[in-house]
Amino acid sequence: MKQHTIPRIITKLIVPFILLFGLYVQFHGEISAGGGFQAGVIFASGFILYNVIFGINVGEKILPIGLTISIMAFGIFLYIFVGLLGILMGGNYLDYNLLGESKVQGQIIGIFLVELGVGITVSSVMILIYYSFNKFEDNK
Amino acid sequence: MINLITLIIAVLCLAIFISIIRFITADDIYTKILTVNLIGTKIILLVLLFGALSVKKDFTDIAMIYALINFISTIVILKYYEDKEEYK
Repeated sequence: MKQHTIPRIITKLIVPFILLFGLYVQFHGEISAGGGFQAGVIFASGFILYNVIFGINVGEKILPIGLTISIMAFGIFLYIFVGLLGILMGGNYLDYNLLGESKVQGQIIGIFLVELGVGITVSSVMILIYYSFNKFEDNK
Repeated sequence: MINLITLIIAVLCLAIFISIIRFITADDIYTKILTVNLIGTKIILLVLLFGALSVKKDFTDIAMIYALINFISTIVILKYYEDKEEYK
């Protein structure tokens, strides 16, 4: 795609804002529309757009497949860890009220961590789906 | 004021309908991609108008995400047809 100037320039301009918008949807999920899943998809879509324009395999230098799988597992681990922390503190699974000093603080901390886990997992799964489509084309 | 917004929504729906007819009757792949892009742009305008009718701010976020997905899907589909032999 070296001869297409307009998509390359537009992508260079727009990718940081896509990533910033993904972070906005992530951290304002409980106030406005959105949440961890949507933020992960938006974040991964910015990454995929950069890959499509600047060469199919340019993203694997930053995020190799093994590292992406590890990040995905870390997101699930974060979710389960926050859930089990409620049990360890004497409540139910995913009991946010006990995590902070007051109930409101505990709710904020719990929702933030759980949504962060969901966002990390979804974004790395989307990037892995994109990688697997590339490998499918290579194997044929 | 409500009547004006309703009129604009009706006109936009008519434009979407005309674009769908053009999508069905076109036999060129590039015209089809162009009409899909047109329909996406008009749907963004519809979402923003609905957001103006009800005072919620969330509709602007949804319209931005819609524009983003529209742009990325157009780029990816065009790249797919660029690599195919029979469309060169």
